Amino acid sequence: MILVVLEHDGARLRKGALEAVTRARQLSALGGVSGVVIGENLTSVAEEARRYVDTVYVAEVGAYTAEKWAAAAYAAAQKAGAKVVIASGGRQSRSWTPRLAYRLGAGLLEDTLETSTDGSRVIASRYSFLNRVTEKQAASLPVVITAKPNTTPLAEPQGEGSVEDLSVELPPAQVEVLERVTEQKKGVSLTEATVVVTGGRGLGSPEAFAGVEELADLLGGAVGATRAVVDAGWRPYGEQVGQTGKTVQPGVYIALAVSGAVQHQAGMNKSKYIVAVNKDAEAPIFKIADYGIVGDVHQVLPALIEATKKLRD
Amino acid sequence: MKFVAVIRQVPDSESRLKIDAGRVDLSSATLILDQMDEYAVEEVIRLQEKHGGESVIVALGPERFEEAVRTALAMGADRAIHLVQEGYLDPITQAEALAEVLRAEAPDVVLTGGQQADWDSQALGPAIAEALGWPVVTWTTALEIEDGWAKARHDLDEGAEVVRLSLPAVFTTQQGLNEPRYPTLPGIMKAKKKEIRKAPTAAASKVEVLEQSIQERARLGKLLDGTKDPQAAASELIRLLHEEAKVI
Ligand SMILES: Cc1cc2nc3c(=O)[nH]c(=O)nc-3n(C[C@H](O)[C@H](O)[C@H](O)COP(=O)(O)OP(=O)(O)OC[C@H]3O[C@@H](n4cnc5c(N)ncnc54)[C@H](O)[C@@H]3O)c2cc1C
Repeated sequence: MILVVLEHDGARLRKGALEAVTRARQLSALGGVSGVVIGENLTSVAEEARRYVDTVYVAEVGAYTAEKWAAAAYAAAQKAGAKVVIASGGRQSRSWTPRLAYRLGAGLLEDTLETSTDGSRVIASRYSFLNRVTEKQAASLPVVITAKPNTTPLAEPQGEGSVEDLSVELPPAQVEVLERVTEQKKGVSLTEATVVVTGGRGLGSPEAFAGVEELADLLGGAVGATRAVVDAGWRPYGEQVGQTGKTVQPGVYIALAVSGAVQHQAGMNKSKYIVAVNKDAEAPIFKIADYGIVGDVHQVLPALIEATKKLRD
Repeated sequence: MKFVAVIRQVPDSESRLKIDAGRVDLSSATLILDQMDEYAVEEVIRLQEKHGGESVIVALGPERFEEAVRTALAMGADRAIHLVQEGYLDPITQAEALAEVLRAEAPDVVLTGGQQADWDSQALGPAIAEALGWPVVTWTTALEIEDGWAKARHDLDEGAEVVRLSLPAVFTTQQGLNEPRYPTLPGIMKAKKKEIRKAPTAAASKVEVLEQSIQERARLGKLLDGTKDPQAAASELIRLLHEEAKVI
């Protein structure tokens, strides 16, 4: 049996949940697919979830903590007799799935791009070495898998599964949330955008980001930033792309006055097309660029905005 | 109080990676203390400076890790324990082996990097917490401790959270937590005399690495000169993105 931990936003399943269902179906040689929804007020998400899996377990455990999610997923895995557990791989699930794997005595395949089975093992591909290496891993059952977001087609609904309440033995609460700050995103989200326009320190000032925003808007994309820019307080951390920021994989990534340090590349080097504007023809970013302009960003960026407007007309 | 940093040694991100027989070959790479673990070392030293007690480095990995351990000692940590194990070991199994040492040490706080720069794993901290039955806070950007409690700020997928939790606890690091200090010359001299207790481990990995490859996408590398006529270069670039790449 395969168990999918179905991520949701309180009202609907998230895209990552539907990607995880697809992954589970790809492993169908290892058994049928059940799901678990974890959180509070789960009636409507459970209704939606039953269309994707044979049985939905409903774990009403309240607001998120890693301990609670691990306990609920563990209870569901026990109940379902699951030897494979799959969750989508955001930062949140990557912080409780290791707990689950430990408890199940399972191998953990983290942030996988693809998963398959030879009947006894799960074989996964993933990136390592700051996204520079692609590797294949294998683990015998039991196994816990996280699926890298935006790598898998979304599952289609397939019928009417049953819904079952799950009782979870919760550990005593160890972590109390004092304050939660949710970033207000405007426009498309960075990790899902098909166009990302990123500004680097070479822009010289926070004001210069007005042009970055304008170009991103014109292209229906999202704004990204380098760490140097975030450290300087010019842009919020939520826009940082790289090793310690977000990983993006858009159709086109436009890097304006960005040097292209390896830690930055770790968050964007899988983009389909990479475009760079830099005044230094030797900047490392040009080594991984498909298209580039060597020039002063203060002249090139307004010209790019003009040219894009012309194209739109 | 006792503060532990769990560290690893990884290739410097600027090093060229080579593949030999389907495996990453690190023989010509520069190896360093993982920069995410560097934040952990800095934090345990600061916690000790503020609250007294002891700062201890714990590492699990090949013999070569000793260099990274020495760096952490040169930054100012008191002593180290190095579990020696060659080859790949998955983080869940690592946590099992590390938990034994940590249980014996009984620290108040354990810190380790938010993501490993070689295996890109974020699992070690949470898995250690599970092995010890302790709470974990991942991607920590601020940490204060007081009377058996900790208050921490940490990053989520979208946003951040401030939490309060009882010690002992595990924290994984994120940029912004602190600015790691450089080892000083006296620090390096002193580190030579500090204790590194070594012990072999015999853990078996639950996950096997079958094959590694560097698949750099072949990039087009079409550069336009925008120094003389930025307008013309910009128009040409937009045309290429629209007509050739078809991405806008
Ligand atoms: C543990 C760790 C984690 C990290 N994580 C990240 C991360 O997640 N994301 C990240 O981005 N970085 C990260 N870094 C930092 C990274 O190493 C670089 O320092 C950072 O990416 C540099 O940002 P930058 O390119 O904006 O600035 P710089 O390196 O200062 O580059 C600015 C560029 O702009 C160009 N320029 C200047 N003026 C102009 C002009 N008028 N017109 C055109 N071009 C111009 C310059 O030629 C230069 O190439 C991390 C570092 C560490 C140690």
